Amino acid sequence: MANVAVCVLGSLGYDRAAQGAAGAGRALAESVGGELHALVIGPASDNAVAALAAVADRVVIGANEALGDYQPEQALQAAQQLHAAGGGDYVAVLLSNDTYSQEIAPRLAHRLGGSSMADAAAIRADGDHLLAQRTAYGGKAISIYRLKKQPAVVWLRARGFEPAPEQGAPGDVTTVDLALDPPRIRITGREVAAQEGVRLEDAPVIVSGGRGLGGPEPFQELKKLANAIGAEQGASRAACDAGWVPPNWQVGYLCHQVAPELYIAIAISGASQHLLGMGDSKVVAAINTDADAPIFKHCSFGIVEDYKQVVPLLTEKLQSMAG
Amino acid sequence: MDPTQATREVFWNIEYTWLVYVLMVPTLAVFGWGFWLKIRRWRAGQPEVRFDRLGERMQLFLKNAVGQGRTIKRRYAGIFHTLVYTGFIVLFLATTVVAIHHDTPLHIMKGHFYLIFQSLTVDIFGLFVMVGVALAAIRRWISKPKLLVYTDEASWILVTIFVMALTGFMIEGWRIAVTDDPWAAWSPIGNLFALASDPLMSDAAMQTGHVAIWWFHLVVAFGWIAWVPFSKMSHVFTAPLNIFTANLDGYGGSLKTIDFETAERFGINHLGDFTWKDLLDFDACTECGRCTDVCPANTVGKSLSPRDIILDLQALMHKRGDTVLVSGNGDNGNGSGEVELLPIIDQKTAVSPEALFACTTCAACMEACPVHIEQMPKIVDARRYLVMEEADFPEGMMDMMNSLESRQHPFAGTQFSRVDWTEGLDIDVMAEMDDPHEAEVLMWVGCGGALVERNRNTVRATAKLLQKAGVKFAILGREESCTGDPARRVGNEFLFEMLAKGNVETMQRYGVRKVVTSCPHCFNSFRNEYPQFGGSYEVYHHSQFLDQLLESGRLDGNGAAVSSNGSSTITFHDPCYLGRHNGEYDAPRNLLAKLGDARQVEMERSRNTSFCCGGGGGMAFVDEPPDQRVNQERAQEAVDTGADVVAVGCPFCATMLDDGVNARRGDRDVKVKDVAELLWDAVGEPGQAAP
Amino acid sequence: MKLLVCLKQILDPDVPARDFQIDPAAKAARRGGANLVTNIFCENAVETALQFREAATAEVKITALCYGESSAEDCLRKAMAMTVDEACLVERDGNTNPDAAAVGRVLAAAIRRLEQDGGPFDAVLVGRESGDWGVGQTGGLLAEELGRPALGFVESLQPGNGGVTLRRQTDVGIEVAEAEPPFLVTITNNEDNVPRIPKTRDVMMSYRKPLQKLSLADLELDSEEIRTGSSIFEVEEIFIPADEVECELAEGDTLEERVDQLAKRIHQVVASIG
Repeated sequence: MANVAVCVLGSLGYDRAAQGAAGAGRALAESVGGELHALVIGPASDNAVAALAAVADRVVIGANEALGDYQPEQALQAAQQLHAAGGGDYVAVLLSNDTYSQEIAPRLAHRLGGSSMADAAAIRADGDHLLAQRTAYGGKAISIYRLKKQPAVVWLRARGFEPAPEQGAPGDVTTVDLALDPPRIRITGREVAAQEGVRLEDAPVIVSGGRGLGGPEPFQELKKLANAIGAEQGASRAACDAGWVPPNWQVGYLCHQVAPELYIAIAISGASQHLLGMGDSKVVAAINTDADAPIFKHCSFGIVEDYKQVVPLLTEKLQSMAG
Repeated sequence: MDPTQATREVFWNIEYTWLVYVLMVPTLAVFGWGFWLKIRRWRAGQPEVRFDRLGERMQLFLKNAVGQGRTIKRRYAGIFHTLVYTGFIVLFLATTVVAIHHDTPLHIMKGHFYLIFQSLTVDIFGLFVMVGVALAAIRRWISKPKLLVYTDEASWILVTIFVMALTGFMIEGWRIAVTDDPWAAWSPIGNLFALASDPLMSDAAMQTGHVAIWWFHLVVAFGWIAWVPFSKMSHVFTAPLNIFTANLDGYGGSLKTIDFETAERFGINHLGDFTWKDLLDFDACTECGRCTDVCPANTVGKSLSPRDIILDLQALMHKRGDTVLVSGNGDNGNGSGEVELLPIIDQKTAVSPEALFACTTCAACMEACPVHIEQMPKIVDARRYLVMEEADFPEGMMDMMNSLESRQHPFAGTQFSRVDWTEGLDIDVMAEMDDPHEAEVLMWVGCGGALVERNRNTVRATAKLLQKAGVKFAILGREESCTGDPARRVGNEFLFEMLAKGNVETMQRYGVRKVVTSCPHCFNSFRNEYPQFGGSYEVYHHSQFLDQLLESGRLDGNGAAVSSNGSSTITFHDPCYLGRHNGEYDAPRNLLAKLGDARQVEMERSRNTSFCCGGGGGMAFVDEPPDQRVNQERAQEAVDTGADVVAVGCPFCATMLDDGVNARRGDRDVKVKDVAELLWDAVGEPGQAAP
Repeated sequence: MKLLVCLKQILDPDVPARDFQIDPAAKAARRGGANLVTNIFCENAVETALQFREAATAEVKITALCYGESSAEDCLRKAMAMTVDEACLVERDGNTNPDAAAVGRVLAAAIRRLEQDGGPFDAVLVGRESGDWGVGQTGGLLAEELGRPALGFVESLQPGNGGVTLRRQTDVGIEVAEAEPPFLVTITNNEDNVPRIPKTRDVMMSYRKPLQKLSLADLELDSEEIRTGSSIFEVEEIFIPADEVECELAEGDTLEERVDQLAKRIHQVVASIG
């Protein structure tokens, strides 16, 4: 019997990422004919436990008062003990892509004598092994890895997976008491969300505006669009120079060199230094009145139209899609 | 009256004339001591060969020292300086004549010579001095232009010269009046004074006044002479010397190499590290401010001021030079007896890192300097210290240097390889040729041409024009690396040397003799700098090479009107490293002249007074504050000519001006295009208008 | 105190996309004309260590360690030019693409060996991931091999009360931690740990500093066992995703239709980010 575990940090709850990880876990469990277990590090809300029980065959909650506050050494110990408590016969232990899960994954794999892998966008079983697909070489290539040892401890690009379906009957929930050592590295302080938004370099989606906007006011319109899709705002050099937006918004060769998954360039013609600054974007969309603007040679899709016509309508549509 | 007997008594009305000779001794002693101090300081500088090629030096001396070639380029200052300068020469000659006449048996001060030269000419030139000084005073005290340095010394110089000339006329006038000089009419200014005094003063009063003013005049003159070596008036001697010892090789070759194995320090942050010529430069400065006036960085409001760099270093040398330079190991003041390396880079002076790293190395300062001071190489020397000894430089330059080091090109993050632009053009790459010697010329593409999207059209156009003309050429492709120009200009000589040696080696392997490049920075490196590393080539900027092809008929230039966009007015922006640094102003203009009915207009600042695009000296890689962008200043000037096309001949100018023009053009459509692009538009095959 | 920084030499991640090719036999990127560079996060780690040394009152010695080809000497020289005190290269011996577990084992063995000679390292600094494969597992695996506590995504180390104060980036914000040596951190980048450009004098000196070289045999490791026995993953397949070169312009008769198309495309991408 080979099962699949999804390892969840109780404090993070059953968020979209955990849902995706559980979804990936369920699909994998089905393919190997095993169960899906949820291993929960530390106390979780009743809602989260109920939601996990609805999608997993078994939920094991590791209890220790120290686990209310994340400490990597203790979370790692907890995961290791939960693995045993859950039966230990897992082909895979899946985690989502929060910072904490990312740092635990390889160490847990080592402790369990398994394989580890990061940032998997797809996984499937292949005989005794697991295959994991991810990007390599800064997104220039896609690689598929064969994970040769069991369990395969993998953190996933979790939000990219469909949430796990609810099962007919809720899974069995057990709580185990864990014995934890005091940590030798102790997190003593958190400056949560000290900055507004994410650094542009880290932003997964960026909406940038350029000279064609003609003034500072249209950036308010762009802000609505950005909010609708969870994007950060950027700008071209021309817009920053003109003082329409602060200089630290500038995307370009000499300022923020960004690499988002999606870059939306609005009324930006695509000066060379701007193109160099956003060239690593995975997908670029452009809104510009000039079909010959260089930006259209650097985007995957776009619209030749005045932004004034497009943006409000687009925002509205995206809001309803995100619904 | 017999004009052949005309003369005057030398010491008329003056007793104790021996006192003149007595006073002359300390005067000349102080004068000599002052210059001896200066010379002693200069001699403590590092060695440099500047007394070779005497013929060329004499020519330059005659043109720009004697002939005031550069001084007269500014009209107002040129006029008053010429008045004072010629006046001084004539008055000096007159004094010499008096001395010869009185102290030797040669009594030359008589007859027609006395009347025409010693009386009339001297009076006129004496008036010149007064008018010149008055014009200078109006500028200094009333119109107060920004380029001047407002010191008491400068004012006192004007006052004393004016007083000397005025008192000279007073004593002449009173002498004429009292003696009823029959030749009075030959001394019109003195005579004017005599005629004015006559009704107002008795002869006795004039005689008394004459004695008093005569001695006053003498004391002022002697005092002034003694003061010369300690004031900016010393330029009367230092400037001609500085011009005689100027760099004869053009600005493009003005940076020195460093022997990294033996150099005690890399670059300069110590007065004693300068050469004697650098130290002479400091003393030659006349505070005219033209360098700062033309400096692009200063113009847009940055802290760089070449004038203040020179003057601050001059002040430092005057204050501490004797201890630090001459005795060689100045006490650092704490009594430890350690050798003091009197630092020159300091936030409190004009020689601040911020100012040093604003320089575009455009050499406008050097071109503007009437006395041939070499400001730019000193700035680079100080940058060298900051970069190589302190690793202190702006962030953009850091990324550029990192990229040069690991990728041999300065454009971190470029999406292109060095050969992408050749797609579809069938261009030979040396490494892939059976016999690379078949290529008559190496087309050196340059990083700015191959790796920056907007410039790929330029190199494509150049290549297509060469192909059309049947030129057998090849490129180095992936074997090409940056010539090192940006590294050298920001002060990373070590990196430059590494890149230069690498390129020389590669080119040697293929037996390269002739190079054509569309980047003036590469052009300058090959032409002026690579010979220092064993690489000597026949080097052409693409505009020169294409011009030759047109001249020889290998390219047909009598083609259609310019470009597909129907533009008709073109203004050419001279790249600093083609124009000022290497003296080529005509070739690109010749190409533009072939473009059908296109009209050429010139910007106010063009040719040797061209204003930098802001991209030289590594500045293309630095993010300038939005209100201090050189490229926008230049773009505005280009747009203001009314041109539809701003023609360029340099990939850095192209990107800088492109950005600048986009920010400044308003509603007009103004394009920035390389001369090769424009030429291809005009002579390319039908249907191939845009390469 | 003693700090150890691990370095990896990688194919220049800045190689233009058009020049990037896969060698199907090797299941890796083709070297082509690209340069080899030090992985940027490793350079951030060197810089972080240097800044710790500058902030510390006590003497701090920094060692750079690399498991790589002989070309990786360049990375170590550069680290020494940045004024790292010592450098050690463990020669890779033909194992061109070792997995993270192998690297972890070799580095651990080398660290123990260096500690035998020169005393324990208080902190081991590892880049959070590499610019080539980017799997980011080496730090965690090495921590386990060494049996030391670890913290990921650290951006600075500062002398703390009896230990070391760490600042790190997480998806919820900045966290501050106190660490008791010995420990391991993986280093991420921020504005303050941009690798410095060495002084030219130091660049020249770096060629005169000794560089210790160790072989797997010196570490009493079996090359074959490292290659296969302890391997936890291998590349099954690698390919370049199909390129979206052409810009797909929204089409449709009405603005409404065109914007709708655009909205769908944007939504599709946003949803896939997760």
